[in-house]
Amino acid sequence: MSGIFAYRDGGSVVSGEGLLKGSSISVQANMSVAGWPTEAGSLALKGFKAIEDATVVKSLRDQGASIVGSTRMSELGLGLCGDEAARAVAEGFSAIALVTEHLGEARLSAAKAGLIGYKPSYGLVSRHGLLGLIPSMETIGILARSAADIATVMAAASGRDERDFSMPVEEVPDFLNGSGQPGIRTLGWIRESAACLETDDRKAFQRCLEGFAKAGLTPVEKSMKEFDLFRTVHQIIGSVEASSSAGKYDGVRFGYRTPSAKNWNEMYLKTRGEIFGPVIKPFLFQGAYYQFMEYDVFEKACRLRSHLMREVQRLLGEVDALVMPAVRRGFDPFEAASVPALYDAFLFTLPANLTGLPAVCFPFDDGGQARCPGVQIIGSRLSDAGLLALAGERMQTTTKES
Amino acid sequence: MDFTKRFWCGSLRPEDAGREVLLAGWVDALRDHGEVLFAHLRDRSGIVQIVFSPERSSADLCRAAELLRSEYCLVVRGRVEKRRAGTENANLETGAVEVFAAVMEILNASDTLPFTVSEKAMAAGERESEAVAEELRLKHRYLDLRRPSMQDNLIKRHRIFKCVRDYLDEKGFIEVETPTLTKSTPEGARDYLVPSRIHQGHFYALPQSPQLFKQLLMVSGFERYFQMARCFRDEDLRPNRQPEFTQLDLEASFIDEEFIYGLVEELTVRMFAVGGIDLTRPFPRMTHQEAMETMGSDRPDTRFGLRFIEATDLFRDTRYGIFRQILDRGGRIKGINIKGHSESLSKNVLQNEYAKEIVPAMGAKGMTWMRVVDGKLESNIVQFFSREEQAAILERFAAGNGDVLIMIADASPDLVHSVLGQLRLHLAERLEMIPPGIFAPLWVTDFPLFEATEEGVTSSHHPFTSPHRADFDPENREELLGLKSRAYDLVVNGEELGGGSIRIHDRNLQSRIFRSLGLSNEAVEEKFGFFLRALDFGTPPHGGLALGMDRVVSMVLGVSSIREVIAFPKNRSAQCPLTQAPSDVSREQLGELGLLDLGGDKALPGTVKKEDLLEYLSWVSRIGVNETERPALEKALAEASLLAAAIDKMETDAEPVFSVAPVKGRIRAGGEPVVSPYSESRALFANAPAMKGRYFKVAGILE
Repeated sequence: MSGIFAYRDGGSVVSGEGLLKGSSISVQANMSVAGWPTEAGSLALKGFKAIEDATVVKSLRDQGASIVGSTRMSELGLGLCGDEAARAVAEGFSAIALVTEHLGEARLSAAKAGLIGYKPSYGLVSRHGLLGLIPSMETIGILARSAADIATVMAAASGRDERDFSMPVEEVPDFLNGSGQPGIRTLGWIRESAACLETDDRKAFQRCLEGFAKAGLTPVEKSMKEFDLFRTVHQIIGSVEASSSAGKYDGVRFGYRTPSAKNWNEMYLKTRGEIFGPVIKPFLFQGAYYQFMEYDVFEKACRLRSHLMREVQRLLGEVDALVMPAVRRGFDPFEAASVPALYDAFLFTLPANLTGLPAVCFPFDDGGQARCPGVQIIGSRLSDAGLLALAGERMQTTTKES
Repeated sequence: MDFTKRFWCGSLRPEDAGREVLLAGWVDALRDHGEVLFAHLRDRSGIVQIVFSPERSSADLCRAAELLRSEYCLVVRGRVEKRRAGTENANLETGAVEVFAAVMEILNASDTLPFTVSEKAMAAGERESEAVAEELRLKHRYLDLRRPSMQDNLIKRHRIFKCVRDYLDEKGFIEVETPTLTKSTPEGARDYLVPSRIHQGHFYALPQSPQLFKQLLMVSGFERYFQMARCFRDEDLRPNRQPEFTQLDLEASFIDEEFIYGLVEELTVRMFAVGGIDLTRPFPRMTHQEAMETMGSDRPDTRFGLRFIEATDLFRDTRYGIFRQILDRGGRIKGINIKGHSESLSKNVLQNEYAKEIVPAMGAKGMTWMRVVDGKLESNIVQFFSREEQAAILERFAAGNGDVLIMIADASPDLVHSVLGQLRLHLAERLEMIPPGIFAPLWVTDFPLFEATEEGVTSSHHPFTSPHRADFDPENREELLGLKSRAYDLVVNGEELGGGSIRIHDRNLQSRIFRSLGLSNEAVEEKFGFFLRALDFGTPPHGGLALGMDRVVSMVLGVSSIREVIAFPKNRSAQCPLTQAPSDVSREQLGELGLLDLGGDKALPGTVKKEDLLEYLSWVSRIGVNETERPALEKALAEASLLAAAIDKMETDAEPVFSVAPVKGRIRAGGEPVVSPYSESRALFANAPAMKGRYFKVAGILE
């Protein structure tokens, strides 16, 4: 248990009235809870104690949830090396876990533990108080055993926050009354994504598609020849944003500072040289490379991002949602300890982060041939409630038939 | 128009009523009263109001006046008249008169101004001048200098400089210019270098001070020399420093300290008198040791008390463990008495602010405080002191009701002084103990000749400063560290305005000083050979001093920054926003100077090759790299470059997006600025690795 939590709340397990009355929720160690150590898995925030609650924490508590502790995480939340959020739910320490999504961390940790993992539409949940890394992509993701639990959390946590300036003004989906009515009939699957799977995995994915068909949905084959571009564009933009947003980690106002600096410049060089670990550091150097040497490449990547968003939107005009594999045999996201390994492991989940679309990942098992530890449904912007309803329906069937 | 017949705008008075005058200057401000237009016309002397009215001026002139805008350059002819009672403007020296325009010519129009130049309101109750960002002011310095306050600063600076020249001339001093292109000395690490085109690969240095030249002028027999010398120092950034600055440099032969004190005191009195400040002579003097022991600073602020009181002996037999341990290690205990301030320094402030945060940030391990209530000491530790000790404390600190005593104890006396010195300034500022409008000059004398280094000693001032006595052993480090120098600093209100010394004129003594510094004969020859040779030819005894004139002028004028008294200063980042200096230069220029591949054969420590991509990125993103990480990072950069190449070929007409859900025109509800409550409390400091007072502490900019 001590291995799961970075900090565990001793006192305030009592929960109040509201939608989440009696729910226990764990946060990650980069989400601010006033007075809690908030080190984000990084030496850069060594000893850092949050001064106030993140908006999401406050919203959940206001609806009666009890925040039981913060789970251990990868360095600054990039990838899943050392992430324990899924274990907190799987082993019953909390009913629900919040996980920062940069690449698909919530979805893939759910897949590993047989849970539902969900990434909301970008801008739906306030990130005020989240110590993030890639501002244009990251969202607060959610893990739980049931889609209904996730929907309830979203009902409490979504909506405009004056203190998060990246949130657009828009109608928030109705998470409480969408249950049972996903409104999704056609599911597009991208040929080029399935082509990235080894034979066994591809067959399993095909059987899942058949399983969906049996359940009354219509799988439709689609093509997107730029599928390979998702990871490249994500990596270029993601590294630049990380390099920029990690600029604040300087050992002056908080965190670790090198004990042996002769002067000001050396203090920054050494401190920042020592605080970043073996996964983040190469990523930051890649970002610095584009920022300082090849800025045109960054801008080009932003153009391609726009192009990719347009292409996905085109597909979503033709089908109700997209279905995509999530995991690949031989690419364990929990073992991915280098930048290329990360991008290999999160290949199928990162498109949703790059495009800001909602996605839900759940284990598929219809009791027969169709069995897959994690399959993903990606929908249009703000179609979150429908995706969760569909996941809920599938999970219920699973439980009924197994 | 004949400008020789011109009147000064600022000179017109009621006695001038009825005169026809010709005025020229700039439109300071305008006020349109329908038919009648009022304009403030400004020249260097001041401002006067011009009236364009249909009753007194032609219709053509009134139409022409409608075109006027701020800072147009004009010439006007008109008639001076007394203003009607009740319409005088007390803000203007010419406020009792106005000039009715008969003829006006626009000499030059002005573009829209980047900021308001005018400082004088046209009517009571209007805003007089606005605060403008300094960077903007510096970028348009020529407009900034149009403002009367800035003109006044530079005019006063001129007056002060003139008073210096007049006085020194009176005293028989000769102004001699020394070169600006000089030789870089090996220890001159902060020299600005100037490449020589003729002697490629060789450099002149700009002087940090004319020290050696002025001593050579004494060898030459000028006896009394001075110069308003421009000096240069390529220092790391510090507030209130300029890369180039003006120093009054003076040197005289056959003199002693008393001559310098007398001369410089009279000079200082005259300079301050330009700003209407009276200084009383003679200036008090204090040895360096006394300054350190009683005020913890070599440039003490003597405008207020809070002198240190020795308390080590009071605790000789104490049972208080912390003091006991410090005294057993040969430590010192000293304190200050903050008289009558127990109201403002509550237990909470003393314990939670000073003892826990402020004093540790100053470098002390702890602080002891006591308050005097009902004739008795009150504190969290007073119970550890015997009745006799408590009585002795009250007596030694002359403590009475309402007093607060603070003591610092440490094994290192230097630390005790340094911390109490900082605390003294901190408390004086917080408790507003510094009387306004007071100027307290002070001579600090008898500085140590040497300071300790890890291996030996180094000069505290410079190696040409004369020691108090010549009979020392250059090999005896302890003895060297005990030597005093014949140096002196002039300090006013805790700021060092200048300093100097009586120099060594004896070659033998100079050699023994170099030996004490551990310099080999070869090193001495290379550094100062030409100068030592000069000492061989009958050098007279001499000494001198240098005063930082930018600092003097800003203190006399009471402005906060020396940039306010320099016409075209550099900003805080040592750049000139007006001319954009320092700037890039063309490759051709570098080639002509032979600078394209300089230093290739000299591998200097610390000047690592910046052309290495990884090194470069490590530097610009301030992320250090060690050797074991290098291969992985090289690989990451190779990968980044491959990705760049991969998307380089792709064609797209899409506009770049930086957010998947762009937010437009988002304004905080209510539109009012909101200050975080945490910026007021000290909560933001709770996570800081190091603090000093109310600031985050960082490593020094200088090593």
